[in-house]
Amino acid sequence: MAFAENHINTDVPEKDVFALHFLQTLSNLSTQNPFSSPDKKSDRVKKIKKAAYVSMARAAGCTDRLWSRALLQRAAKRNNKIVRFPRRRKRVTWLRRRSNRRDPVEEAAAERLRNLVPGGGEMKTSKLMEETAHYIKCLSMQVKVMQCLVDGLSPK
Amino acid sequence: MNSSLLTPSSSSSSPHHLQSPATFDHDDFLQNFFSSAPWPSSVLEDDAPPPTSDTAVASFHHHDVDSRNQITMIPLSHHNPNDAVDVNALYSGFSAGSLPFHFPQGSGGGVMKQSHTPTQSQATASTTTGGTATTPQTKPKVRARRGQATDPHSIAERLRRERIAERMKSLQELVPNGNKTDKASMLDEIIDYVKFLQLQVKVLSMSRLGGAASVSSQISEDACGSQENTSGENQTAAKMTEHQVAKLMEEDMGSAMQYLQGKGLCLMPISLATTISTATCPSRNPLVSAVKEAGVLLSPNTATTPVVDVKGASVITVKDASSVSKP
Repeated sequence: MAFAENHINTDVPEKDVFALHFLQTLSNLSTQNPFSSPDKKSDRVKKIKKAAYVSMARAAGCTDRLWSRALLQRAAKRNNKIVRFPRRRKRVTWLRRRSNRRDPVEEAAAERLRNLVPGGGEMKTSKLMEETAHYIKCLSMQVKVMQCLVDGLSPK
Repeated sequence: MNSSLLTPSSSSSSPHHLQSPATFDHDDFLQNFFSSAPWPSSVLEDDAPPPTSDTAVASFHHHDVDSRNQITMIPLSHHNPNDAVDVNALYSGFSAGSLPFHFPQGSGGGVMKQSHTPTQSQATASTTTGGTATTPQTKPKVRARRGQATDPHSIAERLRRERIAERMKSLQELVPNGNKTDKASMLDEIIDYVKFLQLQVKVLSMSRLGGAASVSSQISEDACGSQENTSGENQTAAKMTEHQVAKLMEEDMGSAMQYLQGKGLCLMPISLATTISTATCPSRNPLVSAVKEAGVLLSPNTATTPVVDVKGASVITVKDASSVSKP
């Protein structure tokens, strides 16, 4: 089909950027609770996990991506309540008459993906796939960084 | 199938060509279709693509249909030169009656080629605009697929589907085990991979418990005594930053960190820096190599903390007064 599709850009910064953001966030975390170990381990785990996600969102480009924006917004909320927006308001409902317009199998999977990827609630499916690709890249980068840190700091 | 099909008419096109009426009308066409003579055997004997195929195509588009009895067929072998499909097989498939399925849906004189390959093009949406492939001179009339109209909605739908398919392909390369051809299983793989990565983050954050504490304590201990900067590649601006940081660190660790972060820098023990730099793939980033150098030059046991610049490439090392290991 002869439509012009500019190539999607899913570049991700180098590992160092992720590492630095993560360490910055971690140090922020530790300065907030200086030398006082919180009572429950699960709290700490949650905090570190949140720090990981937030730093990943920042490293990947704060506002460049829908998922990073949604992630940071979610993190900034105090009560951690996740608000679901109405999905896909661009599509007019009367079009749904045509049964072959939407592949039901694909849409079910897209729903699950929307639940996983932050900010996926209001994206169209094509945009969702793009965001997923970038999200996967960033996640794998973050995992690599964390793995390196754990390996490096673990007692020999 | 033994009578010659083509009634003599005023048409100028060659007798081997089939065409549909330009102004398509459902009932009219069916009438004409069934009233016309059955397919000629001469068509089946047509084995070589006539050299006038292009002109025939042109005439197909511009031909004025006076008599709708005139049916011309465009030989297909020139359209798919690489196909091993026998021309006869094509025509037999064509004459098998698949044609009437296409025509009632058409909203115009569609490109006949599409109906000539029922086995090939029935499933592909892209060939419905096959006019663009070989006959770009006129606005290609979109041949409708079975059960679909050719309004802009379905075109947009097709566009959307192709966009999604393109993105699926790029996702396939990212996800390990992405060799599944089935779209549904591919999507399942993607979902599972995302879940797996998120789980990994969670697990790694659980094991990072000790690390976080040690990092913070190390920073607070070692930075208190730092006064001197000896790294050779410093610039004056960087030196000023270091002085500032050192001063702030005397007062309060937090403000020092904030100052650094405002500049886009961060403080970390050198063991961390070496860990990251050695674990990174050989990067052309001068940042990493500088960190590596700094790590190599200084003994890892000393209480030194390199300050790494996020944006630039300069590495500032703020050393402890007690450990000076200048190259």
